[in-house]
Parts: sequence; structure tokens; C-alpha cells
Amino acid sequence: MNKTRFFTVLLCLVMVLTMAAGCSNSSDPAPSNSGSELGKDPVTIVFWHSMQDKAGAQLDALVKEFNEGPGKELQITVEAIYQGKYSDSVTKMNSVLTSNNKNDLPDVMNLDATGKVSYASSDAAYTMDDALKADADYDTSKILKAALGNWNYAGVQLGMPFATSTSVTYYNKTMLDAAGVTSAPSTFADISALVAKIPETTSDNKKIVALQGSPNTPSLANYIGQLGGYVVDKKNGSEGSATKLTCVEDGTLSKFLTAWKAMYDAGALEVTDPDTDAFVAGQVAVLTTSSSNIETLIGKIDGKFELGVSNYIRVDDSATEGATISGSCLVMFDKDDSLKKAASWEFVKFMASAESQAKFAVATGYVPCNSGAADVQEYIDLLDEYPQFAVPAAQIAATPDTMISVTVGPSMDFYYAIQNNVSDMLTNNLTVEKTIENMVEELNGLLDQYNMANPS
Amino acid sequence: MSDKSRRKLFNVLTPIAAIAVGIVIVFPLVYGIFGAFKSPAEFSSYPPTVLPKSFLYTENFKNAMNIMPFWRYMFNSLIVASISSVVRITFAVLAAYAFAFYDFRGKNLLFFLLLATMMFPGDTLLVTNYLTVSQLGLMDTYLAMCITSFVGASQMFMLRQNFRTIPRDLRNAAELDGCGDLKFITKVLLPISKPVLITLLVQSFITSWNAYLWPLLVTNSAEMRTLQVGVSMLTSLEDTNYYLVLAGVTLSLLPSLVLFVIMRRNINKGMTAGALVG
Amino acid sequence: MESNGQGNPSVTIRRSSKVEKTKKKRRFKLRPYLLLIPIFVFAIGFIYYPFIKTMLHSVSTVNFKGEITGFAGLSNFKYLFTRKDFITALLNSLKLTVMTVPLTLLLCVVMALLANNKRKLSPIYETMFTLPMAVSMSAKAMIFRVMLHPTVGIVNHIFNLDVGWFLDEKTALIGIMILVVWMGLSFNFMLLLSAFRSVPDQLIESAKIDGAGYFTRLFKIQLPLVSPTLFYILCTDMVLAMLTSGPIILLTHGGPSRATTTLIYMMYASGYGSSNYSMAACISIIAFVLTFAFMILAFVFERKKVHYE
Repeated sequence: MNKTRFFTVLLCLVMVLTMAAGCSNSSDPAPSNSGSELGKDPVTIVFWHSMQDKAGAQLDALVKEFNEGPGKELQITVEAIYQGKYSDSVTKMNSVLTSNNKNDLPDVMNLDATGKVSYASSDAAYTMDDALKADADYDTSKILKAALGNWNYAGVQLGMPFATSTSVTYYNKTMLDAAGVTSAPSTFADISALVAKIPETTSDNKKIVALQGSPNTPSLANYIGQLGGYVVDKKNGSEGSATKLTCVEDGTLSKFLTAWKAMYDAGALEVTDPDTDAFVAGQVAVLTTSSSNIETLIGKIDGKFELGVSNYIRVDDSATEGATISGSCLVMFDKDDSLKKAASWEFVKFMASAESQAKFAVATGYVPCNSGAADVQEYIDLLDEYPQFAVPAAQIAATPDTMISVTVGPSMDFYYAIQNNVSDMLTNNLTVEKTIENMVEELNGLLDQYNMANPS
Repeated sequence: MSDKSRRKLFNVLTPIAAIAVGIVIVFPLVYGIFGAFKSPAEFSSYPPTVLPKSFLYTENFKNAMNIMPFWRYMFNSLIVASISSVVRITFAVLAAYAFAFYDFRGKNLLFFLLLATMMFPGDTLLVTNYLTVSQLGLMDTYLAMCITSFVGASQMFMLRQNFRTIPRDLRNAAELDGCGDLKFITKVLLPISKPVLITLLVQSFITSWNAYLWPLLVTNSAEMRTLQVGVSMLTSLEDTNYYLVLAGVTLSLLPSLVLFVIMRRNINKGMTAGALVG
Repeated sequence: MESNGQGNPSVTIRRSSKVEKTKKKRRFKLRPYLLLIPIFVFAIGFIYYPFIKTMLHSVSTVNFKGEITGFAGLSNFKYLFTRKDFITALLNSLKLTVMTVPLTLLLCVVMALLANNKRKLSPIYETMFTLPMAVSMSAKAMIFRVMLHPTVGIVNHIFNLDVGWFLDEKTALIGIMILVVWMGLSFNFMLLLSAFRSVPDQLIESAKIDGAGYFTRLFKIQLPLVSPTLFYILCTDMVLAMLTSGPIILLTHGGPSRATTTLIYMMYASGYGSSNYSMAACISIIAFVLTFAFMILAFVFERKKVHYE
């Protein structure tokens, strides 16, 4: 009797589990329609994205607008699915690519820089170049060049920019005005000069610091790029796998480190990641971080002081103005279904249209990648109410083509290696030469290790 | 001081000390919940405050429930957490029983093999498990979300500790009375171990309830997502809109709190003593 | 040697091997193995199988997609040991474990003793002690980040401190330790409370009658009787401490200046975050081996000090 009882219980468990397996809600994908034309037959495409919070809400609104408008006319339905933050969705994409099960791939995906290389080297990519070949009428001139360039890898245009942001300088305009500084800080020297002019402590006796910063890969790309150099070879890793640092031979790294150290010695610099809460509390005068923060900052500051936004600071006046692009793009996948590919491209074009980009920008603070957005009333109203939003857009337009964001395999290690080496230089009082030596050893070492495992 | 008055002092001081410690321990939680009632500006204000200006500020909760399909996600989380915890504890009880009341070849080896599963960093298992689930055709099912939680070595370990304090005489006596293993487990062992059992069940439930990455990976459709994935939809890329996330977290606390109340009542009933003789 | 139910320790009487074998054969039961099947099926499928695949990664060259492209022998391990952040990560993991585990044990015992006797106010503080259990790790970490913020954080404000907490390399690890200890208190307290409450009242009463003082009762009766639970808490906390990564990923990113880089964080950042799967596998194996070693030590300790009935 014992054995029977035991197996009965086991059987019950198995039944419960099977029920759980059966209780799913996966919608069957629409039958494949290869060969049929767009508009003649209905098609559903799957869209993976990582938009959260307000951006997520606005994205859903845009998808709805498409499904009820242009999508309806062409019988396209877009199913938008949130896949976690970018790193999680890229993990998922990589897992699916490894499993070689093309059906589990989405049709359109919202990708950021961390997924660029995987996507480019997969054999399921339906790149924007591919789509343009089939749709030669599309005019790409309206799309911001710098934004497009950010999603170009090894000469191939991977996808269409979607959520575009860049790095800008935020400063406490009220504090600077009171100190007699009327123009926005533009170079390191300007920051150092602030130390003597701004008050030492706040009204609550908290120390005020001129600038908070800890250089990492994107900010280094900005500082070096402004000086006309590249951080690593192969145009910052955009043409192929980078093999070494190039900012050493042309002296740009040395220039940057010397000027950065000078700011620290002048007492203007606090070595820490930019802390928006401290800035809002009036304890930091100048901050450099993403342009996507504008709206949140305005909300948090709540009128306590005036928020100044200006172009990204530069090492000195010989450097050009500009900053590299961050954000995310839309890429498409090839699932051997020409109808789905055509439908995906229509959706992508819609999301990059002037109206969509304007709406998205108004709701989220991202920069529209379509220059036509400047003519859309909602966007014009936004700029009227918050002139700060015009700054990143203008900066992107003025950024030279040569300023490209850095793409390296060992991304996290690289990032923290730069950060740790620079902060070690300041807190352990090392010379610029020694720091450069350390950085070359560590960073080139990381690249070597990566290239050994990934021969191109 | 006489013994009696020392005892009286003790009886007064102890609960006071306990409450003081309790306040320190629960403070971060309460602070977090209060944060859900603060507006963005209030949240980052300096100097920082504990209490929100008004408990009527429900904007954060409204926004949170707008951004994610709250009730559907909660339902999914409930199902996944319930199945996970029940199956996990069932398997753990069976295994712990075997280790506590039987001697057999390879016993120690098998025990350590199970314990070892606790020590593998979870991230290393993620991608392979994803592939396995995908190959089994289980993507987007409740089972997929539960399946990796069925092995609870930690719970099995605790149960084994607990079972080992029960003398084998009891088991032998029951066996002589014609009581089989399962009967013994259900009629004698589980009632005795009720406090520990319930604690472990609740803990497993809560762990599964709070899981984020795995349910995210194995589900594709919005209808199958769980609450934690929903809460992550509330964070913004700049990562500083705590007030909104805290609202989401507070909402997702509700079932856990209900479970809590149930758990406390059951544990306070105490164990059924008397089965043990001296 | 455990007693075999009859209460007699095994006496060394030499039996002829033949008789021994027959005795063993008769005593062979299928039952325990059957009871273990469910848990083992899933353990093999979802834990051992992936982990063995990982072990393969550690001795192969793996490309950024996670595909094995060749055999590398021990060169991955050699590379790992030459990285200066590896020693830092190892030390940080050990520091974290050595400091948080005893502290957690001590605090839990204190809490359980405080709450042991049921009083009118019991529900209040018992709930306060156990409530943090209900919240997810990421929520707890986020709350701590807000509370321990150097300038707008409530902790520095209330205690009039100027500590940099997570933003200062000298105090970041301490901040993480406080968080880890706090996270572990609730659940362990619950288990320990059950254990303390199941100590038979008669034993305590008769000890009191015999004139035993509070501390004698504590150390000679209560602690030995709850030692199985204490042992469980010791082992699981050790494992959790060695494998700590969640709070670090969310709060400090291993910094500042690698002050909070632990082994598993390094696996996450330098392994997965840097497309270096082979190194991630190497680190996870080393973490596993170390943790396992600690466990074995603990079990050796168990034989001497832990009392089951």
C-alpha cells in the first residue's frame, strides 16, 4: 500500500505540472506569408523593446497609433513586448541566436550599443541597408547624420535611430549668475575659475563642489573626440574589432589627463559619478550627464533654481564642440518571411517619422532623430516652454562626423579600467605619464585578450 | 536586587528592547513605503524627510498601475509562486525524510551533491536553462517559470536538520504499527514540523514572488509576465525615479503581507507536543 | 557515527564478511532512493547539466557569442590569476563572508532571545523583525541607496554624519555588509525563534529549580538544542555571503575603485559584461570550490558541536 500511495502522490504532482504547462497564453504566430504582398494579406509582427516608465507609455501610444492608422491600411499589426532593460533583452536575443531558432526572434527590436556587435555578426540580421535596397525611395537625408552614424558598424547601416540622447552639461544657473558668471562653463579652465567665485557652502553648511565627474568610456570618447582623436583604432571600434589605444600617440590622452588633473588640483573636481540628487540639493555647480535627464531634473528642482543646459565641456578652446550619441535604435530580423520584413520596415519608418519622433521627444526628452520634427507643433511648443531641450539637438547637429562612440568587446572592463585609472591618478597622486603607462597596459591587455578569443 | 524584582525588571526591559530593535530593523522598509507617497521634488529635497507631506499623494500609485497591467501580473505571480513553493517544499520534504530517517549507500555523497547545488552562482545556469526550456517547447508557460525553482537544497537542508531532532524511535514505533513512509510523513512528521514547514513555504513563495530575470527570459507575451517584471517597467533609464518604483514595490508587497499574517497565526499555534515522550 | 535507532553506537564486533554482506543485502531498501528521485531529476536537468557546460567553458576559448571555439587547457585560469582585480575580488569576498556571518548569527540569537517568551506585545515586535523578508532584494537595495546617500540620505542627516557610504571607497564595503546582514536577519530570526520555542519548557524549569542561572541555561541547554538550526544558518549565510552580487550590481558597480568587487561581481562585470565567457566560468568554478571548502569545514565542525536529539 505504501508504494501505491507514493506513486499516487507523484502522479498527482505530475498532473499539476502538466496543467501548468498547458496553461500558457502564447499567441500562435500568424501563418507565414512569404511571397504575398504588403496590404493584400494581414500580418502580425513582434516588437521587442526596453522602454520603461514614461518612455514605455509613449511607445505603447505610438504602437497603438500605428496599428489603428497606417498599420490598419496595410493590414499590419504590431505586438509590442517589453523585454526588460537593454542588457536583459540583449541577453535574451543572444540566447535565441545561439539556439538557432529563428521563430523565437522578434521582427523588430529596440537595441542599444551593447547589442550592436552581436546583431551585426548574426546571420539573422535584416539591416537597414538591406531594407533600403528594397525601398530606394526612402529619403534618409532627414535623419540626423550623427544619429545614423552611431548605428553603423563595419560600414553597414544596422538600424534606424529611435531614442537619441547625448551628453550635455548641466549647471546651476542661479548660483553662477549670483557669482557673476554669465556664460555657461565651456572648458576645464572655466570650471577651475568657478572655485573662487561660487560660495563654499550651502545654507545648510554642506560643501559646494564645482564639478563632479569620473571619466569612463563615453566621456573619454567625448573629450578625446573633441580634440580630434580616437580613443581606440578602427575609428573607435566602429569599423571592426579595436586592437589598441590610439589616443596616446597623438597626445590627446596626455592633454586630457593633464587638464583633468589641473582641475582636481585647483579643488574644482570631486571624483565621483555625477549625482543628480546632490546637484538638485544645490551642492554641485556643474554636472555632465545624459540629455535624457532634462525633464526629470526640472521636475526635481521644482523651481528652486534655474537649470542651465549647455554643450558638453571641453578640455580647452582648441577642442571642437560636440559629444557622441547614445540611446537606442530599431533593428529588424530576417525570419525568411518577406511579408514580415516589408511590414517591419513600414513600422520602422513610421517610428522615425517627424510626427512620431516629435511626440516621443515631447513625452520623454529624447532628441528627435528626424529634422522634420522641428516643424511639428507639439515639439515647437515643447521648446517654447523648455528652451533647455534645444541644446542637445543643436549639439548633435554641430558634432563633427569624426566623433564616434567607442565599441569594444570587453565593454564593462574597459569602462571601469578607465575610471579606476583616472581616479587612482588623482587620489594616489600619480604622474600623467605613469597613468598613461598603466592605462595602456591594462586597456591594450583587455583588447588583446578579447581578440585572442574572437579572431576576426 | 532580589530574584523576583530582577525578573520583573527583565520582563519590563525585554519587550522595550525588542521594540527598539524592531524599529531599527523595520525602519528602512517603512521609509521606503513612505517614499511612495512623496512627489519627485519632495523625494530629492534637502534636508531629507522621513514622513511624506501627505499620505493622500497617490500619483505614484496611479502612475505605477497605469504603466503596467497590475492585476494580470499579480495573478501570474500568484500562480507561479504558489506552484514553485509547493513543489519545492514537497520535493524537499521527501529528500530530507530520506536523509534523516534512512541509512543507505551513498547517503553522504548524495546529500553533498544536493547541497552543492546551492553553491553554483545562478547566472552561470541562466543561458543553458533557457535553451533547455526552449528545446522542451515550454517557452511562455507557467511551468517554465517554475521549473528552475523545484530544487530547494537550502530548504531540504533545513528540513533535514529539523527531522534529525526527531528520534528514530518514533519512526520505528510507527512502522511497527503498520504505518508506511507517506503516512508517517503526512500524519506525524509534517504536523510536528509545522512552524519550520510554514516558514520555509512562505520563504520559497516570497523568493519566487520576487524573481525577475528568469521569468523575463522565458516569457515572451505580455499576458504571462510577472509582477517584478512589471515593477522594472517603472524604473527609468536614469534610474532615479525611486518614488515610482517604491509605489510599485509597495503594491507588490500586499500578497506577501497577507501571507505573513497567515503564517504568523499558524506558527503561534505552536507545535503539537505530546508525540514525543521524554 | 549516528546511532542506528536502537540507541547503541555501533560496536566493533568482527563479523565474517559473508554474514555482513547478507545483512547488508537484506537491509537494502529502494525506498530512500525513490524519495530522492524527484529532487534529483530536476537538480540534474537544471543545475548540474548547465554547470557542467560551464565547466567546459572554463577550459575552452569562447567567443563573444558564447560558442566554444577551441581548447584552452588551463590558460584561462592562468590569465585570471594574473589579473590584479582577481586578488581584490577574492579578498573582498572573504572579508564580506568573515564579517557578515558571525554578525548575523549573533544578532539573530539576540533577536530570538528577546522575542522568545510570548508577551502581550509579541505580535508587534515579531512582525517588525520578520517584515523585511517580504520585500525583494532589489527593492531593499534601492531603499538603502536612498537612505545612505551622503548628502540627501536620511541616515547621515539623522546621525549628523559625513560618511560617504557607497560613494567612498573606504566605506562602500561596510555599507554593503550592513545591507547584507540586514537582509538576512528576518528569515533566520524566524527559524531560530521556532527552534528556541521548541525547547521543552520542562527542561528549562527543572534547570531553574536546580539553580542554574540565565547564562548557564543559555549555554548548556538552549544553544545546544537549537544548534541544528544555528548550523543551518551558518552554512546558508556563508554561501550567500560568498556569492553576494545583487546589491553590488545595483548599488556600487564594484566600486569605488573596486572596493566592493567580489568574486561573483567580477564574474558578472568582467565575464558576462565584457563578453568573456571563459573567464566567467573560471570565476564561478573558483567561487564554488571555495564555498564548498567552507561547507566541508562547517560539517567537520558539525560532528563535534551540533547536537541532534
